[in-house]
Amino acid sequence: MKLQEYTSSSHNFEECMKCTVCTAYCPVLQVNPLYPGPKQAGPDGERLRLKDPFFFNYALKYCLNCKRCEVACPSGVKVADLIQAARIKYDNAPVKWRDRLLASTDFMGRLARPVAPIANAVTGLGVTKTMMDAMFKIDHRRTFPKYSPYSFEFWMGRHEKEQAAFSEQVAYFHGCYVNYNYPKLGKHLVKILNALGVGVQLLDKEKCCGIAMITNGMKTEATKHATHNVEVLSKAVDKGLMVLTTSSSCTLTLRDEYPSLLGVDNSGVRDFVMMATRYIYEKLEKGATLRFKPDYKKKVAYHTPCHMEKLGWGVFSEKLLRMIPGVEFTMLDSACCGIAGTYGFKRENYEASQAIGQPLFDQIKSVNPDVVACDCETCKWQIEMSTGYTVMNPISILAEAIEYEKEK
Amino acid sequence: MSNNEFDVIIIGGGITGAGTQRDCAMRGLRTLLIERSDIATGATGRNHGLLHSGARYAVNDPESAEECIKENMILRRIASHCVDETDGLFITLPEDDLAYQQTFVDACRKAGISAEVIDPELAKRLEPTVNPDLTGAVRVPDGSVDPFRLCAANMLDAKLHGGQVRLHTTVTGFIREGDTIHGVHTLNLNTGQERDFYASVVVNAGGIWGHDIAALAGVNISMFPAKGALLVFAHRVNNMVINRCRKPANADILVPGDTVCIIGTTSTRIPFEECDSVSVTPEEVTLLVTEGAKMTPALSSTRILRAYAGVRPLVSADDDPSGRNISRGIVCLDHEERDGLKGFITITGGKLMTYRLMAEIATDAVCRKLAVDKRCETATTPLPGSGERSYEEVARKIWEKPSTAQKAAAARLGSNASRIRTRNRLDEALICECEEVSMGEVKDAIEHLEATTLTDLRRRTRIGMGTCQGEFCACRAASLLANAHGCVEREREDLKGFLQERWKGNFPIGWGDTLREAEYTQWVYKHVLGV
Amino acid sequence: MKFNTVIIGGGLAGLVAGISLQKAGRSTAIISTGQNALHFFSGSFESIEEAPQRIIDLFAEAGVRLHYAPGVRLMPMGTFKKSTLSLEDISLLPEPKIGSKALIVSFSGYHDFFCSFLAEGLEKQGMSCRIKMLDLPELEKLEQSPSEMRSVQIARTMDRIWENVVREIRMLLRDEDTVILPQVFGLRDTSIPDRIRQGIPAQVIFTGTLPPSVPGIRTQLLLKRRYELLGGTYLMGDEATGAHVHEGSVHSIVTHNLGNHFLEAENFILATGAYFSKGLRSNPFQISEPIFGLDVEQAAERSDWYNPEFMREQPYMKYGVATDATLHALKDGEPIKNLYAIGSILGETHSEMGTGGGLAIRSALAVADQILKTSEE
Repeated sequence: MKLQEYTSSSHNFEECMKCTVCTAYCPVLQVNPLYPGPKQAGPDGERLRLKDPFFFNYALKYCLNCKRCEVACPSGVKVADLIQAARIKYDNAPVKWRDRLLASTDFMGRLARPVAPIANAVTGLGVTKTMMDAMFKIDHRRTFPKYSPYSFEFWMGRHEKEQAAFSEQVAYFHGCYVNYNYPKLGKHLVKILNALGVGVQLLDKEKCCGIAMITNGMKTEATKHATHNVEVLSKAVDKGLMVLTTSSSCTLTLRDEYPSLLGVDNSGVRDFVMMATRYIYEKLEKGATLRFKPDYKKKVAYHTPCHMEKLGWGVFSEKLLRMIPGVEFTMLDSACCGIAGTYGFKRENYEASQAIGQPLFDQIKSVNPDVVACDCETCKWQIEMSTGYTVMNPISILAEAIEYEKEK
Repeated sequence: MSNNEFDVIIIGGGITGAGTQRDCAMRGLRTLLIERSDIATGATGRNHGLLHSGARYAVNDPESAEECIKENMILRRIASHCVDETDGLFITLPEDDLAYQQTFVDACRKAGISAEVIDPELAKRLEPTVNPDLTGAVRVPDGSVDPFRLCAANMLDAKLHGGQVRLHTTVTGFIREGDTIHGVHTLNLNTGQERDFYASVVVNAGGIWGHDIAALAGVNISMFPAKGALLVFAHRVNNMVINRCRKPANADILVPGDTVCIIGTTSTRIPFEECDSVSVTPEEVTLLVTEGAKMTPALSSTRILRAYAGVRPLVSADDDPSGRNISRGIVCLDHEERDGLKGFITITGGKLMTYRLMAEIATDAVCRKLAVDKRCETATTPLPGSGERSYEEVARKIWEKPSTAQKAAAARLGSNASRIRTRNRLDEALICECEEVSMGEVKDAIEHLEATTLTDLRRRTRIGMGTCQGEFCACRAASLLANAHGCVEREREDLKGFLQERWKGNFPIGWGDTLREAEYTQWVYKHVLGV
Repeated sequence: MKFNTVIIGGGLAGLVAGISLQKAGRSTAIISTGQNALHFFSGSFESIEEAPQRIIDLFAEAGVRLHYAPGVRLMPMGTFKKSTLSLEDISLLPEPKIGSKALIVSFSGYHDFFCSFLAEGLEKQGMSCRIKMLDLPELEKLEQSPSEMRSVQIARTMDRIWENVVREIRMLLRDEDTVILPQVFGLRDTSIPDRIRQGIPAQVIFTGTLPPSVPGIRTQLLLKRRYELLGGTYLMGDEATGAHVHEGSVHSIVTHNLGNHFLEAENFILATGAYFSKGLRSNPFQISEPIFGLDVEQAAERSDWYNPEFMREQPYMKYGVATDATLHALKDGEPIKNLYAIGSILGETHSEMGTGGGLAIRSALAVADQILKTSEE
């Protein structure tokens, strides 16, 4: 008989021992007194919400979904999932236009890319910033990520044949950032993989992973994206391909948020979606080699993005960077930078966002590295804007450090 | 009038006593209620908290069934903040005889209980946690009722009508002249003070302990203590009451109550000496979980919060050893007629559901003795706090944007939650995080609801009733109590007693997360705080 | 990934073992399912009777200052408890008396520090006490949120404004010879407690609060930082879910996050704690060890696991993973050659090593020494 051999509840909230450790690590609680904190918003609140949805608290919207509570929880409670799931289930407030705008990263990208120079100039203008602040409550102090004049998908289209020539193949889920803002990162990945004898192909039209939609309460749209993406991922997996990523947030969303928050079954593809750093590390561990530039020298400080911390794969980025002969490596204390996707862009969150990141910014300044390494694009914007230090994806640093002849 | 003379003294702060005091007070009598511990400490607070539709009794005890449905409808009106109108299902499982369903439905209708046979598929939609293998379902107007709140509201209303209440005070003897009772000798267990109180009539509403009280007055009532064990699960698994549609048996009612749900019960005859120290055995735990999981399979993998047992005050009528078939009917004994002892009445039997009717019967008897001619109005006058239909309305009326703790307070106190509105911001600090009890609500319970110990506070506010079982709130609340009554020494003992009381309900189900929590609580109190 | 030693459990025992091995040049990884019992640390290590220079040095290198002075310390509920080795912010006293007059200071709206109990406890010892609740404008922001007035959140503010508190206390101080403060100082800056002591012209005693423990969190942070500085790999928020064991020795560990990327090592240390930390699991029928299925010493009948009196010693707390004399974990009665168990997962199966913090440190050092010795050979 199975009588009480195990106990379970949705997102295992009953395993919460009320120890309040999560509250000690919640970055929002440190700066926003309106937020009830992960314990109250998560497992405590869940018991009340199960009694009556009336107990849903709209202040849950202040949760960044950084998942630091889950990483800290000694009991393994899915605190952030509980909070996000509650928002999806109970928050009926209409989504603001501003939030829609910020969340629709691929829509915005498609719109802006053909007119990138203008878009960049316009979003950089003081007058535009003031206008966006006034109209959409997007904070005027923010620096907007620049749009690239060509998309990564376009570039890949031109290199399709050359990539297909490699006997070993992987697929690449590049995400909106690489596609519209920074195709260079995608190119860096292609360089490293090619150096390892691996060709890269695109998925059959990926869509934005939808993370920003989830945190901005756009469940229907997010679910549509998720269903589509699982479908195209399945096609790649069916062809026997691994699907690599360079953004920790996209990865977490594709692997873990789809089933747990959106109820989209990804069990057929989950284990095939992997951060490129892990894939490369494992290749090297199995005997593959890369040729490093002999004169490469860099002082690198690694920042573990929140979602990387949750994935638990920061170790691969760390080990890869440590492998580069000329790299002097420092591990920064793991702490949230404060941007949390679109959170920090909203005017009402600006102060909080900067305050959350302050200890990290201070540490970076005291380490004074040549470059900060980090696997998340939004952390990159935040850290660059707030400290003036350059932030690079570990993949870019690795690409810079290796020699590969076929480079074009 | 001296302040120790009354028209009527009621012994026992259970729901019967509180209800009787309210009724007497509303009829203009000067009343005193004496309780040796706290409100609702006996059978009142140790049952399912089921707002019976009466359906359970319809087949075997039609009279009780009729009383239940009448009182059920009355309580919805007069005690809306204590009642959760969930409705209930009587389900037939493959191992049960589906033919019983018709007998059941016929009996319900005869008793005036609406009983609608519904498709099992509909039952599954209404209550998704129900055993999907069910073969039949009947929907009845069951619900849940919070006995602590109900008791507190009755006591509060009695006080509003001039009644006095003395908790933690035990009756040490009767003041008797010849064949007439004139009052009681008492001892305050908190302060050690002894006092005499006088009244023309003394009502014994001591539940199972009424047996001892009667003995103290020199009369004998043959009562029958039957232990019933129950388990509290850590969250509200089901949202409708779930019953088995069969002859009443063990562990066949699952009631959602506030943030938890409760499965019960068992029925075991116990000797009188054990009434004060009943505990739940491992066999009872196994039985309750196994049977409960038949109705709602999720129970077999849901954390259990605690185990507890109550003692039913049944008046013995035959030799049935289980106590299950003994009449739960109301017994009102006028000891003048029965034993030749004047000024003494015992009200017993009955059940939580029929407390108001019991109180009415007892009060009628009191009034007859005192030649008071005033009609009972308890069935039509709402209890304090129950002005609004729902706690949502209450919360929105009191606060513009109610916080979670304020919503929770509205659910517990009804419109009386307005008492904690005007407090300053520091009073919004949470004392109990699991059940969202603020400092303001704790202070209110101390000031207005006669809470003098942590256990008293628990019954009035749900402090320590949540998942952590007092791990964090007990010491915070102890500080507030110590400041209120001024005796830290006493509060230290109270805190130890409270932790002990929580543990008593935890160790019978001490495995899994419950054991983890217990280990943590032990660590915090012994090694970190140094209790 | 390959290491010399993989340590499962990132609490006190795991970190002490990890630091010791890294220091000796061994590569290690620590798998930690979330934060650990150091967050509820009382500030004193239980059951360490002898003067432990080695332990003091190990902590000092991490920036955690300890002191050893057998005596008693003041507990939050106003009682005294025997203590020997403690964090430096904990005052160790030769006897349960701390002076003649005490000023107990706390903050308005802060419920996790128990002034009235402290005062009553001290008055029993013949002291006279005065309680003062400070109203600090800087704490008003915290007060807006009912769950904010907790030790850690206050400590964050105190890291910035502790000097104001010192100033307030200096003004409040009359003829008291002792000032009692909650342990909400020095979450990040370890020098603050000392500087407060220097700034107040009376004996300052920092006393515990409801968890999380501020000195405990600080200790965890510093030990982890030290471990990582020595090159250790700390896998935060990951969980060991299984192991590959062949012919009596462990080959690799499976974790939740790394999936099919196994962690290989020559030695494995199990430091997963007792029940709270899920090192030991229980159901109605038995207590078990979930990763390896090790032997757990326990009473067969569930009813024997408990003492019905809460304050008494609880039998279940004595249960633990069975080991041989050298702390090799046993499975089906046989030791696993390269698997050691340390810390509170041992319960009281090695009572000579004590309990709590003492057990964690002693067993961790003993196993680290063994690993270093065997790999030397």
